[in-house]
Amino acid sequence: MRNVRRILTRKVLNSLVTILLVLILNFFLFRVMPGNPLQFIVPQNPEIPEEYKEKIIDKYGLDEPLYIQFFTYMSRTIQFDFGDSFIYSGTPAMDYVMSKMVWTLILTGTSSIFMIVIGMFIGIISAWKRGSWFDTGSLSFSLFFYAMPTFWFAMMLIVVFSTGLQWLPSDSALTYGEQLELTWSCFVDLVRHLILPAASLTIGSIAAFSIIMRGSLIDVMTEEYITTARAKGLSEGRVLKDHAVPNAMLPMVALIAIDLAFVVGGAFQTEVVFNYPGIGYATIEATLKQDYPILQAAFFLIAVVVIAANLVADILMVYLDPRVKMG
Amino acid sequence: MGRASIESKEQESVPLGRFGMSEPTIEKIRLYKKKASQTWRLYRKNWMGMLGLVILIFFVAMAVFAPQIVWMLSVVGGWDHAYDPFERVTTTRLVTPPSPEHWLGTDIRGYDILTRVIYGSRVSLEIGLVATLVSMGLGTVVGLLSGFWAGWRDEVLMRITDVFLVLPWLVLMIVLAAVLPGGPSIGKVIFVIGITGWSSTARIVRAQVFSLKERAFIERARAIGATDYYIVRKHIFPNVFPLVFANSILTVALSILSESTLSYIGLGPMPNQVVTWGNMLQDADDGKAILNGLYTWILVPGMCIVFLVLAFTFIGYAMDEIYNPKLRKR
Repeated sequence: MRNVRRILTRKVLNSLVTILLVLILNFFLFRVMPGNPLQFIVPQNPEIPEEYKEKIIDKYGLDEPLYIQFFTYMSRTIQFDFGDSFIYSGTPAMDYVMSKMVWTLILTGTSSIFMIVIGMFIGIISAWKRGSWFDTGSLSFSLFFYAMPTFWFAMMLIVVFSTGLQWLPSDSALTYGEQLELTWSCFVDLVRHLILPAASLTIGSIAAFSIIMRGSLIDVMTEEYITTARAKGLSEGRVLKDHAVPNAMLPMVALIAIDLAFVVGGAFQTEVVFNYPGIGYATIEATLKQDYPILQAAFFLIAVVVIAANLVADILMVYLDPRVKMG
Repeated sequence: MGRASIESKEQESVPLGRFGMSEPTIEKIRLYKKKASQTWRLYRKNWMGMLGLVILIFFVAMAVFAPQIVWMLSVVGGWDHAYDPFERVTTTRLVTPPSPEHWLGTDIRGYDILTRVIYGSRVSLEIGLVATLVSMGLGTVVGLLSGFWAGWRDEVLMRITDVFLVLPWLVLMIVLAAVLPGGPSIGKVIFVIGITGWSSTARIVRAQVFSLKERAFIERARAIGATDYYIVRKHIFPNVFPLVFANSILTVALSILSESTLSYIGLGPMPNQVVTWGNMLQDADDGKAILNGLYTWILVPGMCIVFLVLAFTFIGYAMDEIYNPKLRKR
C-alpha cells in the first residue's frame, strides 16, 4: 500500500510540474518571443488611443522587469484571468473559451466513445481470426482512413452527405438561431449536426485503437493462463470473453489518454471545416486574428484538461494492473 | 516456414560490441551489406511494405521530374505550352471545370490544377522529410543525453519531454506558428513541425539507452577505459539507430499530415509563392470548390496526401515488423 501511495504521489507531482512548465511556456511564448502584448496589438490597430495603450501597459505590467511580469501573470492565471478578448471586446477570454468548451466536449466525447468501442471490436475480431481476410482487410481499411487528413475527410463527407445527398447539415452545431435546450426537437437538431463532424473524427482514429487492441490480445493469447483456461475445457468464446479480453484491455487505458491529444487535434480540424463553434474553431479564429488573450486562455485550458486526463489514466493503471503496484 | 532460418542467420551476423576496439572498415561494410540484404529479403515478403515502396517511388519521381512530366503532358494533351504552377492560364473566368487544355480545371487564382498537383509533391515531400530529420535529431539527442546522464538532468529533460508529449500537437503547432516572428514560410513550417514532434522519439531512445547501459559489453568497454563520448558513439548510437529509423518513417507520414493541416488552416506558405497540396486545399475551401462543383480541386490534392502518407505508413509498418523481432515471430 505504501508503494501505491509513493507511485501516486510521484505521478501527481509530475503532472503539477508539467502544468507549471506549460504555464512558463505560455508566458514566454506570448511575451518574450514577439516582444510583448503591445507589439501584438499596435501594428493591427495603428490608430489605437494613447490611454488604451497605457491601460494595457498597466494591466500586464509591461514597464516592470520580466520577473515581476511573470509573477503578475502567475497570480492572474491562478484566478483564470487572461484579460479580455480583442475581437469580442469586454468578454473575458476565459469565459469565452469556457463557453466554447461545451461543444468540443460534446464532439470529442461522442467520437471517443465510438472510436474506442468500434476500434476494440475490430481489434478483437482481427486478433481472434488472425491472418483471415477480415484481419488484412480491416487493417488496410483502417490505415487508409488513418492516413487521411481529418479536415479533408470532413470535406469529403460534406461533398457526399451534405451537398450531394442533402441528408445532413454541414454548418455549425445547431440550426441558425436555435439555443441549446432540453427539448426533444433540440436534441434531434443537435444529433443531426453532430453526425458528420463526429464521423470524420471517429473513422480516422479507429486504426489507433484496433491495431493496439489486436497486438495486445495476440500477446495475451500466448500466456499460459489462456492455455490453462482452454485445458479446463472452456469454449473459445468464454476464453476470449472472460480471460483474454479483460487482460488485453490494459494497454487501451493508457492509449485512450495518449490518444486524447490526437483527438483534440482532430477536433480542431473538424470544427474548422464544419464551423462547429467549439474551442478549436475559437482558437484558430483567434490565431488568424491574433486575439492573443483567447489564444493564451485556450492553450492553458486544453493543456490542463489533457494533463489531468493523462493523470487519471495513470492512476487507473496503478489500480488495474497489479504489476505496476509491485514494481 | 523459411523465416526461422533467416532469423538465426541474422542473429549470428549482428556485430556485437567488440570490447571498444575498432575493426577494419572493409569488414564492417561487408557486414552492413549482408545485413541490408537480409533485411531486404524479409522486406520483400511484406506486401504492405512493397506496396508502400511502389507508391513512394511514384511520388518521388513526380517530385524530381515535375517539369518534365508537365512538358510531356502538354505534348500528349496538345496544350499550347507546358504550364507553370504560378501562371494564370485562364483569360476570362478563373474557376473553370476540367477541359482538354486543363484536365483538372483551373483554380480561383486561374492556375492549372493538374500542374499544381504535380509540383505540389515537391514541397510536401521536402517538408515531410526535413521536418522529420529535425524532430528525429532533436529526439535522439535528448533521449541519448537523458538516458546516459540519468539523475536530475534526466528528470529535467523528461519533464520537458512530457510537456511536448502530452500537449495536442496541432494546438502547439498553431500557437507556435501564430506567435513566431516572420511571415508564413516553408522554413517556419518545418521548424514548427520539428519542434513539436520529437518527444516520443526521445522517450523511445531513452528507454533503449537505459536497457543498453546494463548490458555487459558497455561495462567491458568502460572497464577498458573508453570515454563516455566513445561509448555513446560506438556502442549506444549504433544500437539505437535502427529503432529511430523505423520510427522516423511513421514520423514522415505525420509530418506530411501536419504540413497539410497547417497550410489548410492558413498558417503555411502562401499559395501564390509556394505550392503544396495543403494550401491547394485551403484555396479550394476559400474558392468554394464544393459550391462551384469543381470536385477535382479537392479530390486530387487530397488523394495525393492520402496515398503519400499511406505509403510511409505501410513502409513504417513493414519496418516495424522486421526490426521488432517480437512481432516477426508471430
